[in-house]
Amino acid sequence: MMETIEKYLGKLLAQGLVDSKGDALLFSMDDTIYSSSNEVPHLVQYLFSVLNVTSIIVARPSKLYLEVIRELKRVYPGRITPNDSESTTFIHDIPVLGAMDDNSVAAALKRRKGCIAPDGSIITTGAITLEQAFVTFSSICFALFVKYFSDVLNSSVGSARDEDRKCAYIEPSPTILSMMKPPGPIKRPAFIVPTSENEVMYTIVDTGKATVKSGLVDSFFGNISYTWDAYMYISQTAAALDELEGLIDKVALDGSSTNDITSSSEMGSHLKIHKMTMDRAILHGHPKFSVIMSMYGGDMKFGEKRYLEDIPIVCGRVGGGKKGLVHVLPSAMKESHSAIVYGHGTFASARDSFLDAFERMLNIEIKCFDMYRELVSI
Amino acid sequence: MLYTVGDFGKYKVNDMRSYALNCLFVDLNSRTASLENIPEDISFKFLGGRGIATYLLSMNPGLQANEPETPLIFSIGPLTGSHLPSSGRMNISSFSPLTGTITSSSVGGNLCIQMRRAGLDVIHITGRSRKRLVVSIRDNKVTFEETDLRDDVPLGEVFLKLRSRGAVAAVGRAAFHGCLFSSIMVDGTYAAGRGGLGLVMASKNLVALTVMGNKRLGVVDRRLEAVAAEDIQRLFDASPSIMGVSGIHRYGTACLVDLMASRRMMPTANFRKTFFEQYRAFSAHQISSSAKASHLGCYACPIRCKLKGEGGRELPEFETISHFGALNENSDLASIIEANHVCNDAGMDTITAASTIACLAEIRGEKYTGNVLVDMVRTMASGQGLGEILQLGSRRLAEDMGEPDASMSVKSMEIPAYDPRGAYGMALGYCTSTRGACHLRAYPISHEILRRPVATDRFSFQGKARIIKIAEDTNAAIDSIGACKFAFFGASMEEYAIGMKAVTGLEIEPQDLVRTGDRIFTLERYINCIRGFGKDHDCLPDRFFKEPGTSGPGLDIHPINKSLFEEALARYYNIRGCTKDGVPTMQRLKELELA
Ligand code: SF4
Repeated sequence: MMETIEKYLGKLLAQGLVDSKGDALLFSMDDTIYSSSNEVPHLVQYLFSVLNVTSIIVARPSKLYLEVIRELKRVYPGRITPNDSESTTFIHDIPVLGAMDDNSVAAALKRRKGCIAPDGSIITTGAITLEQAFVTFSSICFALFVKYFSDVLNSSVGSARDEDRKCAYIEPSPTILSMMKPPGPIKRPAFIVPTSENEVMYTIVDTGKATVKSGLVDSFFGNISYTWDAYMYISQTAAALDELEGLIDKVALDGSSTNDITSSSEMGSHLKIHKMTMDRAILHGHPKFSVIMSMYGGDMKFGEKRYLEDIPIVCGRVGGGKKGLVHVLPSAMKESHSAIVYGHGTFASARDSFLDAFERMLNIEIKCFDMYRELVSI
Repeated sequence: MLYTVGDFGKYKVNDMRSYALNCLFVDLNSRTASLENIPEDISFKFLGGRGIATYLLSMNPGLQANEPETPLIFSIGPLTGSHLPSSGRMNISSFSPLTGTITSSSVGGNLCIQMRRAGLDVIHITGRSRKRLVVSIRDNKVTFEETDLRDDVPLGEVFLKLRSRGAVAAVGRAAFHGCLFSSIMVDGTYAAGRGGLGLVMASKNLVALTVMGNKRLGVVDRRLEAVAAEDIQRLFDASPSIMGVSGIHRYGTACLVDLMASRRMMPTANFRKTFFEQYRAFSAHQISSSAKASHLGCYACPIRCKLKGEGGRELPEFETISHFGALNENSDLASIIEANHVCNDAGMDTITAASTIACLAEIRGEKYTGNVLVDMVRTMASGQGLGEILQLGSRRLAEDMGEPDASMSVKSMEIPAYDPRGAYGMALGYCTSTRGACHLRAYPISHEILRRPVATDRFSFQGKARIIKIAEDTNAAIDSIGACKFAFFGASMEEYAIGMKAVTGLEIEPQDLVRTGDRIFTLERYINCIRGFGKDHDCLPDRFFKEPGTSGPGLDIHPINKSLFEEALARYYNIRGCTKDGVPTMQRLKELELA
């Protein structure tokens, strides 16, 4: 248990979600509570007694997120409803507490997996593992970031719509804008065109790590595949991009095996992209400004397509249902080997090398970042 | 004979906010029925489905399965019949002739929908008729009709004969011949299996229950229902095991065959091995292409995980495929499909049937495959000759043959097709389940194998005690609201709690639903303790602690470390609020408002 606690404490720090280890408290419980600190606060003991959960994180997010929370709390008292599609799907909304007493916190966490405390700290729970509490923490930070910068953008260009609570008018905060920076420092994946199964595995693992390390994406958002011989090698569902060792499924292209039920939820799209483009290397992540800019220009409906300069933006849901991405994304990828999915993230592919796919994803993010700055006149 | 009972006019079908469940008490001795409201506080505390049935069974927890006073309870959940995805489920509950525990089985089909339309949340049947009966409910009328259906009539014919009466639940020849693991079949293909509910029904001389109604489910907030349904659907779409390329939406549960084989946890040769070389003969891909499968499913379910082959014959689910296949070292797909059909047509649980045959094969040092296996299943259903002992399940068979260790069961119920040496949460869950070795009470395969919602280390007991306890509580709640457990490979209680609010108007938080599940599960455990069950029964067969499974490339399948298992079990008791012997404490019962 303590090892797991240490691991996720390290990840919170490494991914810039907290500024120092002292800002985060992590707890796991089987029949006793394990803690990252020497003490278990009364609140945490109380939460474990009334909630059916195995883990809790209470952490003060890093300065940028804290500022974002401060701004959003002001315009959305009580509850913040994210607008990106991943957050809409998985976390729905984020309760904002008015008081930090046991009952208020418990009431919020009885309803949702995470909430925001009056001082801006984020409290999250995991029903099964500490990893879940970490993923929810990271997801909330992502959702708040995207929400804030989208609202600011819409406010700047005059399309904020206070009345339906979807998008409030927010004056850009100079403190937050001064902290905005493009992704980096960039760690590019090693340039390998694999020639054996082992190299395929190595390349995928390396690219996953490089993509997270470069700050382009957070570790739990994304998936990656490489097609070699008669198989697609693809990251498993709920696998962190920077920890893919042993978590890559080998999927027969002829569909003769069902082992892929543990594969990424985007496997259907990966297969079809490969089929339509013949690209072997496919990378998907959620670079923040690409997500934000994909929503610039108003809502989109399933099946619609528009362009941000030359970047196609398509609209579809995660996975393979009737409104799934699989029906709209591959044709856009055929056009330009990269596309942004509305409110979701970027897909990039390349014939043989992940380096090219990575560069495509990076260039889109940099372009979106620059466009954003221009639009809000920073 | 025609009886008109109760006053359904008083039941405000559209006013679910009052939340007092409607229970039709049917007495087969006197052939009478009366409708009563279950008090609001009780209804709310137990929700419906498995929960309310557990409460009703707790009224007289010492009854034996074959006593006339023993209730056989059909109960739907508050969401049953709504537009929420995968909420067309119900429970059938009683005491088990196979295990001696309380038992319940979640089942789909049209019966739950017709109960909803007839305004009935619960049908509570007691007594024993002198003659074989069919009980038919049509709106507010109950008919008790003596029947001349012979014992050996295939269930297919029974369903054909009764289908004009709406939904049908019926028992087949296996039950009337005394099979301890006989099922109640609903609408031909849906089985309420495992604990021998069919025998309870047959012991009442009740051949079939039919229900037809014409009321509509009143939903408090249709708009909110649509929001919840949309949220759930989105999560289904995002779940590889549900809507993925090879998910259950496409291949049914057969999609697990390849995965279980590759994880080296496919029980083979009566659990002496965990890998069957010829598993591809019955892989999902093979079944779908050779049997020309098409889909069917429960009401309002977009997943539609049930498969039927040519001629409309139902195709087996994963556990059945694996046990009539690998467990019996049988690579003949046609015989697996046929064995499944014989079980369904006679009303027998497929897992126990296959496992009992594998047990016999081990004791005799033989193999029963292909047509021989199918003949063995037929003999079992007949209750004649060797069938007389086979129909009692593997524990009694093995004891009778002087080889008790050959029965791969917990509390006399056979272990399903997930080898516990390959998933330690599953090992614990088999033992703590309140109805014997059941994979569905906690279903840790979801996180130990399918990585939903997150992955856990399948070869570790770390954290598993609390994980299993929470999953048991969650699943008890799922069974009580009328939802399907497969839905939770994608969605969670958060979305279904909103659904509850939309349908019933009740403000109930997701965590409160899980807490209600805790109350239900703890009560089940307490009932079992009253019936003589305790720590000694919460254990796996010795084989799993002594013999390794079949290792594969880079994958060693070790025996389970018994002391680590026992430590995890002790932690589980502590977390569940039980004594060291596994009995819920009075304090815990009070906390859960059970005492
Ligand atoms: S997933 Fe399958 S069992 Fe569950 S409700 Fe749907 S059809 Fe029925």
